[in-house]
Amino acid sequence: MTTIVERAADRAIHDEAVVDRAPLYPRKARVISARSVAIIVFLAICAAFFCLPLYVIVVTSFKTMDQIRVGEIFSLPAPFTWDAWWSAWDEACSGIRCDGLKVGFFNSLAILFPSLILSIALSSVTGYALALWNVRWAGSFLFVLFICAFVPFQIIMIPLIILSSGLKVYGTVWGIALVHAVLSMPILTLIFRNYYKGIPQEIMSAAMMDSGSFWRIFVEIILPMSGNILIVVLILQITSIWNDFLLGLTFGGLGTQPMSVVLANVVITTTGEAAYNENMAAALLTAIPPLFIYFVLGKFFVQGITAGAIKG
Amino acid sequence: MEIRWRRWSPQLALLPAVAITLVAFIGAIAWTIYLSFTRSRRFPDYAIDFSEWGRQYERLFKDGGWEIALRNLIVLGLGSMLAIVFGFILAAMIDREKRGEGFFRTVFLYPLAVSLIVTGVAWRWMFNPTLGVQNFLHAIGLTGIDFNWLASSDTAMYGIILASIWQGSGFYMALMLSGLKSINSEIWSAARLDGVSFWRLYAEIIIPMMKFTFLTCAILLSLGVVKAYDIVVAMTNGGPGQSTWVPAYFTINAYWAKSNLGYASAAAVIMLLITGAIFLPLVLLTAWRERARAERVA
Repeated sequence: MTTIVERAADRAIHDEAVVDRAPLYPRKARVISARSVAIIVFLAICAAFFCLPLYVIVVTSFKTMDQIRVGEIFSLPAPFTWDAWWSAWDEACSGIRCDGLKVGFFNSLAILFPSLILSIALSSVTGYALALWNVRWAGSFLFVLFICAFVPFQIIMIPLIILSSGLKVYGTVWGIALVHAVLSMPILTLIFRNYYKGIPQEIMSAAMMDSGSFWRIFVEIILPMSGNILIVVLILQITSIWNDFLLGLTFGGLGTQPMSVVLANVVITTTGEAAYNENMAAALLTAIPPLFIYFVLGKFFVQGITAGAIKG
Repeated sequence: MEIRWRRWSPQLALLPAVAITLVAFIGAIAWTIYLSFTRSRRFPDYAIDFSEWGRQYERLFKDGGWEIALRNLIVLGLGSMLAIVFGFILAAMIDREKRGEGFFRTVFLYPLAVSLIVTGVAWRWMFNPTLGVQNFLHAIGLTGIDFNWLASSDTAMYGIILASIWQGSGFYMALMLSGLKSINSEIWSAARLDGVSFWRLYAEIIIPMMKFTFLTCAILLSLGVVKAYDIVVAMTNGGPGQSTWVPAYFTINAYWAKSNLGYASAAAVIMLLITGAIFLPLVLLTAWRERARAERVA
């Protein structure tokens, strides 16, 4: 069974950014045509549009409220101050609690690690078993997983709430981590299965001749070959778990909510005059971890996003 | 013994995944569908009154909020399609003019790493009527421009669309770019030799060749639009009034704010049906693509 998603995952994983086309028309050195200039100007204007919101939140976060009230949204901060950052981190109010975003930050970390381990362990083994071992019902199971990867969260929300209350994990960071692992299982399995499908059958036959067991082959042969895909999946999972809002909102209790939910509470549930500088600093604090990953490991990030597109 | 063990261990290793699929997905979907036929309110009530089993659905389609949500879903879907168009234009430009490719790609893609909540918070601030972009425009003399979109129920949806386009076009640009790069280079040289004009090259050759990529983008986008929730919460929280409600928001709201389990389930079932209606073309598209590929090989 091949599907678009698998193909997308394939493309994202196997071709390291599609081979560049050879230059078509040898470019004359030092001569830039009018069309090139027009294109670059157009792209630069678009780039400015993309950078504008980031610019605005960065400058606003360093302003004082006095300067913000003047109403010049694009002006540079004068005086420049970190105050809003400190108060966003330490004392911003979300609902009745005024502990800042730090609570959410540590909750997000506490959710992130268990769910990463759980989801990657579960789906890499599942993908390996489906791709390289002779399981008769693998085809139909993959199709079911493919469908599961698409269903909207709302259709399974209520039963999951009931089940997690039954397991006594509702409202805890463990509960949120568990739900993340469960919900990402279908798509991650498809990604892993697709990657492992590319492993030559000869390697598997040789390993089996060598009387390698299911687990030994996985640990000694397959895992060492999975470096690339592990990084892609890791980055995909880190960013999507960190940026998640709905699961954190649904399964988080008071004091166990992840950073994005705390941010939303801080910004949306303000009474009186909103502290815009604090709001923007809070937004930046929340956005920094995924942005950092993006700027450092951009290539893997793009591969992960393309492979996990349907998670959206 | 050895052989038998080897036969069973993969199946054993698959057990957790199968259990999750059966319980958390298939079981949960069936459970929600069942609940949608009951009168459950705050707590599940498993008795079905067969004389009026469809009452949640009846109520749903008489609900003005649901009607708004469905209409907004279409508006958001059509509006967000601009992200694909925009993404294609960006990709075509980048692909044509190789200079600065790395830079532009990085810039156009970074919003993807930013969560929709942060996106919403940032744009909400820019839309601020007294201190935001509108104030700046008025200050430089463009007093005729109204950028206070989120405050009016007629324009609030467009604000959400603008922010979604900002966040999402980079993704479609990336997909389009890899589509463009996989086009055989001979086509470009042949078009060049034949003196095909720039516009005709794209309108009559390149875009038809990329029809699969466009369809994939459109389907992925539609699936994303059905799930749109975060961006609405962060930008307008459904307001003003109910003017920016979408089905995903409606369902969550029915569960949390109205604590009406049966009603929320019915709305979720309709969401599933909408997703299914989008999903079906994806399956057909895959089959079609497969056939096109087979024909090319034959």
